[in-house]
Amino acid sequence: MSELRKRGVATAVICSGPFLKLGKAQARVFGVPDLPLIVIPHPLGGISLDEVKGRAEVAIPQLIELLKEYAR
Amino acid sequence: MSELMQLLKGEGASIEAADDFEAINELTRERGWGDGLPIVPPTAERVERMLAYCDRAWGEPVAAIPPRYGAATPLRLAANAVMAGCRPQYFPLIILAIEAMCAEPFNLYGVQATTHLCTPLIIVNGPVAKELGINSGHNAFGPGAQANATIGRAIRLALLNIGGAIPGLGDMSTFGSPAKYTYCIAENEAASPWEPLHVERGFPAEASTVTVVGAECPHNINDHESVTAEGILTTIAGTVAITGSNDVICADQAEPLVVFGPEHAATVAAGGYSKADAKRFLYEHAQLPLGKFSEENIERGLRKRFPDRFANAGMDALVPTAQSPEKFMLIVLGGAGKHSAFVPTFGLTSSVTRALKLRDGQLAPSVQAFRRA
Repeated sequence: MSELRKRGVATAVICSGPFLKLGKAQARVFGVPDLPLIVIPHPLGGISLDEVKGRAEVAIPQLIELLKEYAR
Repeated sequence: MSELMQLLKGEGASIEAADDFEAINELTRERGWGDGLPIVPPTAERVERMLAYCDRAWGEPVAAIPPRYGAATPLRLAANAVMAGCRPQYFPLIILAIEAMCAEPFNLYGVQATTHLCTPLIIVNGPVAKELGINSGHNAFGPGAQANATIGRAIRLALLNIGGAIPGLGDMSTFGSPAKYTYCIAENEAASPWEPLHVERGFPAEASTVTVVGAECPHNINDHESVTAEGILTTIAGTVAITGSNDVICADQAEPLVVFGPEHAATVAAGGYSKADAKRFLYEHAQLPLGKFSEENIERGLRKRFPDRFANAGMDALVPTAQSPEKFMLIVLGGAGKHSAFVPTFGLTSSVTRALKLRDGQLAPSVQAFRRA
């Protein structure tokens, strides 16, 4: 993802809450401190399909904002 | 002292503190630089004594430790070794272990950052084990021997302080494990009826090696009844075949580790079983019927991940613990007692064995060979 971001592609990493700090730290480690992180509730694993869709519904508005920002 | 003083002038290389044990421990606690136990203050004098056993440039990184990819220079490793309470003569093994676990096949990034509770287990083979007093007998996994306790601890402190394996930030282990305090043993080669791990892997017997394994804690295998090789191996196989195992779920490269107590090893060898024979038995018998796993693990997990094997398999289809007999690792460890142990692994990791060598590539006959002239 850091490679893509450095090449100018609109990129984001999806993080669930407890992993947000790790996501931010690793973005810095890989040289892309402003890498957008899309935050969803935890967990993503071991949940029903409906709950997964719920996570997507939380992610999509953030993704749209990101792409709008990118288009400017 | 001047070479060290030069290095210590670098930014962030050293801090001033009152010459007070409690105050220094308070400071390191505040900064999150420890494992919760008291540390030995890494003063310049102590670090220099540790570096006496370092045969390479003190400021040159030997590896970058994930997830932070911090530069593991001998200087930094020496500071962590001092904090852990290591003797200087342990230092060459600490450098070797860090190099081994930073090799790509080990997947240290995964081992460090995962929610799984794994941590590197350091297995020492060859003459250096006796030279440094690394316990391979009674209570080898437990406390008592300075070498076991502090070499393992130095590694954990380096993984934390240089690698950034901070609980909840870089180390996402759901609940961690006691093995994360320290996890270092020597194989009990004298008590083994078989060739030791390093010889099995192609190293000469006189080589000293470290093997690093991305491992869980040991799970005991009690068998006081079996008097045959097949009996012991059956009990072991039954303990090894479990649901909830990374070795099963993350199968491709998984190398489950079986630790034979010497009495069990003697029984199995007396039955005519070589290491390879024992591995074959375990491979064939440490398998669980598909139906033992949860419906979700079958439908969303095993059937999807291993379609060749399980896409249409019935509930009686057998799920192996390792992909081949050779993937089982076997060592002999411990003292008297009819116990062996199963050490499951992270699964997404391959063990790495490295020999202790001098700069010219020759096998090191002793840690004394690393002493600076």
